[in-house]
Order: sequence, then C-alpha cells, then structure tokens
Amino acid sequence: MPLADRPRFTESRGFRLSWPFAVAVAGVGVGALLSASLPGYFVFLAISAVVAAIAILGLGIVTGSAGMIALCQLTFAAVGAWVVSLLNVMEAPGGFIVWLLLGGIAAGLVGVLVGLPALRLRGVNLAVVTLGFAAAADVTLVQIQFPGSVDGTSIERPGMFSNDREFFFLSIVVLAVCALIVFFLQRGRWGSSWKAVAFSERGTAAAGQSVQAAKLTAFAVSAALGGIAGGLLAGQVQLPFASSFTPLQSLALYVLAIMSGAHLIDMAILGGILWVLVPELLKRWGVDQNWAFVVFGVLGVQALTSGTNLGQTVRDALWRRADRKTANAALSALPHDAGADATAITTTTTATVDEAALNGEPVLTVEGLTVQFGSLKANDDVSFQVPAASIMGLIGPNGAGKSTFVDAISGYLPKHGGRVSLGGRDLAGLSPTRRARLGLRRTFQQDRVPPALTVGAYVRFVARRRLAAADIDEVLQFFGCPPARARLSSVDVGTRRLVEVAANVIARPRLLILDEPAAGLSHDEHLALAARLRELPQRYGIALIVIEHDLDLVRSVCPTLTVLDFGRVLATGPQAEVLANPDVVKAYMGETELLK
Amino acid sequence: MLQGAIAGLAAGGLYAVLGVCLTLMSRLVRVVNFAQAATGMFGAFTAVWLVRRLDLPIWLGSVLGVLVAGLLAAVIGWIAATWLSEASTTNRSAMTVGPLLLLISLSFILFGNKPQPFTPIIAGPAVSIGGVVISQVTVATVAMAVITAVAVRIVLRRTRVGTQLRALSERPTTAELLGIRSRPLSIAVWFVTGVISAIAIIIVAPSQSSDATGLSMLIVPAAAAALLGGFRRLDHAVIGGLVLGIHGGLVAQIDEVALVRNFLPFLFIVVLLLWTQRKEVWDAAR
Repeated sequence: MPLADRPRFTESRGFRLSWPFAVAVAGVGVGALLSASLPGYFVFLAISAVVAAIAILGLGIVTGSAGMIALCQLTFAAVGAWVVSLLNVMEAPGGFIVWLLLGGIAAGLVGVLVGLPALRLRGVNLAVVTLGFAAAADVTLVQIQFPGSVDGTSIERPGMFSNDREFFFLSIVVLAVCALIVFFLQRGRWGSSWKAVAFSERGTAAAGQSVQAAKLTAFAVSAALGGIAGGLLAGQVQLPFASSFTPLQSLALYVLAIMSGAHLIDMAILGGILWVLVPELLKRWGVDQNWAFVVFGVLGVQALTSGTNLGQTVRDALWRRADRKTANAALSALPHDAGADATAITTTTTATVDEAALNGEPVLTVEGLTVQFGSLKANDDVSFQVPAASIMGLIGPNGAGKSTFVDAISGYLPKHGGRVSLGGRDLAGLSPTRRARLGLRRTFQQDRVPPALTVGAYVRFVARRRLAAADIDEVLQFFGCPPARARLSSVDVGTRRLVEVAANVIARPRLLILDEPAAGLSHDEHLALAARLRELPQRYGIALIVIEHDLDLVRSVCPTLTVLDFGRVLATGPQAEVLANPDVVKAYMGETELLK
Repeated sequence: MLQGAIAGLAAGGLYAVLGVCLTLMSRLVRVVNFAQAATGMFGAFTAVWLVRRLDLPIWLGSVLGVLVAGLLAAVIGWIAATWLSEASTTNRSAMTVGPLLLLISLSFILFGNKPQPFTPIIAGPAVSIGGVVISQVTVATVAMAVITAVAVRIVLRRTRVGTQLRALSERPTTAELLGIRSRPLSIAVWFVTGVISAIAIIIVAPSQSSDATGLSMLIVPAAAAALLGGFRRLDHAVIGGLVLGIHGGLVAQIDEVALVRNFLPFLFIVVLLLWTQRKEVWDAAR
C-alpha cells in the first residue's frame, strides 16, 4: 500500500478515543510537578486559577457553544459553595469529595430552574433574566451568609489533601476530570445539539433533537461546573464569603469567556490563568488590582464588537491549510458508482413511472389541510397521498403556499386544520421533534446547518443512529460533498444545503421533504442533483416530496406531481397529465400565453 | 403600610426614570444598555468627588458630573454606532456588559469601594397627609419620570428631530438613504439618556444605598420596568417602575418575606417576559 493511502494514525479509532485521556494524565502530571515545586504563595493563586478555569469551562458551554447569554455563573458557584458549607456544618458522611459532587448537582438543578425561562426567552431578554438572578441572589447571600460562617466553622478538606499544596493537586485532578467530561460531551450528541440550537432552533427540531432538552442540558452542565468550582473555592478558602461570588465577578467571567473563546477547553484554562495572572501582575507593578476588570472590560468590548475571540482566531489559523484543501461540493453528472448503462440527465429527461410504486401503501396521507393566517388562507383544503418509496413533486408559483404546507405537516404550525398521518399514524399534536423521530424529515430553504460543526458531526447529529464511518463517507461521496472531517464553516451555503440533504437521507426517514434543494446551484448541478434524487427511493428506501421551481429537475425526478396555487390543490396525479392540465399552464404562464 | 408604599415610591421613581431611558434606547438605537445605571452612577460619583475634593459648589459639581455621564454614554454609543451598526440587538446589548464592568471597576479605583458621601440636593418632607409623609425626593423622582416620558413623547411626535429619530429606528436604511445622518443622531440619544440617568441618580442616591455596584445594578429593576412596556411604551415603563417601587416598599415592612424582596424585580421580569414571549416558540419567524 502506498504510504499516502494508508489511514493516518491520527484518524484511527483507538487514537481518537485515547488521546484526550493521555492529555488529561499529562495535565495531572504537570499539576503534580507544579504542586511540588511552586513557591507557597503561588500555590494558593494556582488553586484560584483552577477554580476560575472550571467556572469558565461551564460558561463555554452555555455561552460559547449554545449561544445563550448567562450572566450568573458565580451565582451557581455560590450554590455549590453553600451546599458544601452546609454539609460541612452538618458533618455529613462522605467527606469533601462527596460534598463537592452534591454541590455540583445542586447547582445543576438550580441551573435547570434558571434555564426554564430560556425555553421562551432568547438573546438580550435572557441576559436581563440572568443578571436579575445574579443581583437578587447576591443580596440574599449577604443577608443569609454561608452556613458556619458566623461561628467560623472552617470547611474540612479531605485528609490526603489537607494542606494547600495537596489541595492544589486535588483541584487539578478535578479540573482534568471536568475537562474530560466536557470534551466528550462536546464531541457527542449533546455538544452537537448545543451548537445546533445556537444557530437555529427550527433546524435543531427538524433533526429530531428537542430544543428544550438542548437548552436545559446546556444550562445544567454549565451550572454544575459552576457549582463544582464554587465547592472547590469553599475548600480552598475554608470560610467562603459572599464577596467571592458577586455579580461583578460573574460579568467579568462572562467577558473573559467571550474574549478567550471558552467553548474550547484549552482557552477556558487560559481564561482561568488570566483571571489570576492579570491582577497579580498589576499588584507586582504597584497598580490597583481593580484595573484588571477595566482591562477585561476593554478587551471584552473589543471581542464583542469584532465578533472574534482568541481561541477561534488561533484555531482558524491552524485550520487554514486544511480548509484550503476542502473544496465546495462538486456534483459530477452521474454518481461515482453509476452503472455503465446509466445516462446523464438532460433537459428532456422525464421520470419513469413505476405503476407498482404508485399504487403502494401510502406513507403520507394529507386530508383537508387548512392553514389560516388572519383572513388569508395559505393552505385551503389540501389533500393527497404519497406512496411509500416514491417521489412526488410539489410545484406552484411563488406564494402558492408550498413552504406553509411543509411547515404545517412537519409540525411548525400546530393550529392547522385537517388531518396528516404518516404510515397510518395520526400526527395531530406532535411536535416537529417527535415527527422527525417518527421518520418525517424536511430540509429548509434557508441555511439551517450549524457552521460550528464538522460535516461528519452534523451527519451523525441529523441521522440520530449509529453510523459506520464508511456509510457517512458513502452518502457524502454520493452527493459530491466534502469529506466528514471538513468544517462546515469553511464551505459555501450551497454545499451546506447539499450536506443537509445528504444527512437527512442517511437518517433513512420514511418521508423526506426537500424544500428547494437546488436553489443556489447552477443548472448543470440541478441536473446532476436530479440524477441522484431519483435513485433515493431504491437506494435508501425513502419517499420524497420535492419542492422545486426548476421544471427540468422536477420533470426528470418526479413521476407524480401536485400543483398548488393560492393555497389550493390545482391538480395532482401522474406528471404528464398534470403538466398538460390547462389550469396548471395558466397558473404558471398566465392567460395570454395560453391564448397563443 | 401606606408609609411603606410611599417610601418605596422614591425608589420607584428612579426605576421609572431609568426604565424610560432603557425604553428610549431600545426603541431608537436598538440596544438594551446594561451600563445605563452605571454611567449615571459614574457621573454622580464624579459630582461628589468634584464637590468634596475641588470644593466646587454643589450645583457646578452636579452639572459637571452629569456631563461626564453624558459623555461616557456617548462614547459607548459611538462604539455601537461605529462597529455594531448592522449588528443584532442582542450583540449590541452584549457589548454594553463590557462598559458596565469597566465603569464599576473604574469607580472603585477612582473613588474607592465605600458608599459615597452624597450631599443631598433635595431633602426633607414635601407634604404630610394624615401622618403619612411624602418626601421631596419622592415628589422629585416621580415628577422627573413623568416629565421625561412626556417630554420624550412630545419630542418624538412633534419635532423634526423626533420624526428623523423615528424614521431611523423603524427603517434605518431608508432613513439613511433620505439623508438622515444616523451616527450623530444615535450618539445624541446615548448622550441624553446618560444625562437623564445621572440626574436621577444624583437626586436619589443620598437616600438610597450609594455604593457603585448597588447603583449600577439598578439596571435590573429598571429593565423590569421597561419590560412592562415591552421596551416600547414609555407610559407603561413609568407605571412599571412605580409599581415595582411600591411593592418593594410594602414587602420591606414584612420581615417574614424580606428575602423575597430581593427577588421581586427578578420574578417581575420572568413573569412579564414569559407572558409577552409566550408565543415565541421559535427563534425565527419561519
């Protein structure tokens, strides 16, 4: 085998699974060295840096990945510290480590509570809520104090880690464990759902992922990490006070997370180091330490106005070479594995009508679907059936109600009239997420593909089932998409929409609705896409509804057509019949064309 | 009971003034300015410093302090108008978290982290009806809230600048194409709201807690007030501020629920938002 063709060691499964552990072990090793060698004064500072790093790691999830503004991270930390203090006063069994875990869990639960409003609130509204929570909790904390702080009951560290050096080592171990957990969460389904929900909630739901679950898990994990950080801080200072958890510090942590790019673990750790280093340097230079937050404020404004952060800038630079090699989608006239007898699609190709398929069991039945926006009926008594593993074209002039129809049957317009059933099951009252899981998938006219993911991670996220790497590669190759390791942010919108189609195909739904899949592609690419779409029922066993304006594509792909005009079904049936229907010609060409 | 409600009214007036400023900013320059109260606080602290250190007369120190606040707000506005002119409301608002952090820390550096010794400009009871005393501060802040809201309304509805501002807020691109200069106008809005918040804080601060963080965090009840009007209606923002203040005053009298008092603005915000946004199931319209 030539050297170049051999699978690279860095792409092997064993390496992919083991290197994070290797890094974590190495990190703990460095921590052990530091705890033995650092001068005593710095050990205490180093613990502070580790504590801050864990808190920022949490912020990186809710703010960095999931894109929600949370200004109360240290309030979650206070919850963790409070629980640890309480358990210490109660002399609860299990000792510090167990208390720390319980503190994290308690903070995670509070995080879910604070996250509940986020199911309806976004952007600046959520920022106001979280800041309000931080301010209220701060005043309350000053009033009620930490358990044991009045009579000075100091928190008992575990026996093995009783002095500062040993406690620093413990905090490093905790950081390593947290970082590992976050790494695998970010790489897994939850991580993909956080990045997806940050980009588009509709797109997330269409992939069968619950938007609520994505937001609440982000808040819960983030708050739990905050709670762990707070618990560690309680063990570090042994007598925690409210002054360690003020809203001002939460704001500073938020700004630090934004400017460092805390969704990246290394950057969260760097953020923790900056958190301690900047004030310490200022102190050495004889400058008021409060300047540190002024510096953070200025850098934060810079990061927020430019929309960049340190970590992403560095990553982009590292990836630049790989990105340059990533080509946009290139569709050859025929799929790479087409048989020798296959002929390319031309503008005169028509879809072959397979009678058996047309008379098969219907996978989708629409009866009397009506959608009303005020006095406008966007869909009016729409009824038709789609047989299993067949292709139907849905056409009509602009404003005919095609996209409204897709929104209605995929669950985004729950108040529609009429009945929609998928494979005999009534879909009434089911959310878009549920419908997607039942096998009704759709794509969007707009770009709803989260750019923060790689192609492969996105395909796995949409597919919702275990996929072999070979299956992913095959479907990507079939649609001429870039390889799985390419970053979605490095390809153009047309390519992203093809990746969206490919991912939804490999999800093997019962019915896939493609909303203008060819928009943004050239005419040659339309025909090349057509050559692939017509193979999908046989190849993947799925039924298709194709919404498209390009009649060449529609003619070559769809044996049956349904025409919508002003929300009503104008004609439905085999292609030749429908296209010859005078009403259809009139709707498309206008009356005068017809008179000729 | 009534005395408690009246006592809360002074704070309520301050919430209302800041709420009106927030509403104005949200409508005209598409931002929820988290640093709104902080710029006012900084102006007020500057005034105190000028009076105590440079022995300026109170009126002159106050005027200079108010101007400082206006200029600070204008600088933030200049950043928003220059680099974030096309950005979403959320991104513009997130940017103001930086100045909030910066101004609080800067005030620690310049003025120390103790509450500032304000010399009250207005003090003493205004009227006393049946044993219930209404202080001059209360009258002043409530009047200021109402006057600000009315004045803003008149300016927006009746003057040429007002028409330009409305055009700019509703159709920014069209307005620019018509030759309305957006940047100077929006920076002027920032300046004016900075001035108004500073005046309100200088009036109220002597009778309230007057440390930098506490004053800056007035943004939370102010946002709650503005939310009652959905960041659109000035009159509702005034009512929201006053109601919140009165409630705070009432709850403060009952020891059993003292802790609840801290969470009052927060709960107010959550309930209001959840109600107004109940139909916002999705992030995008389609």
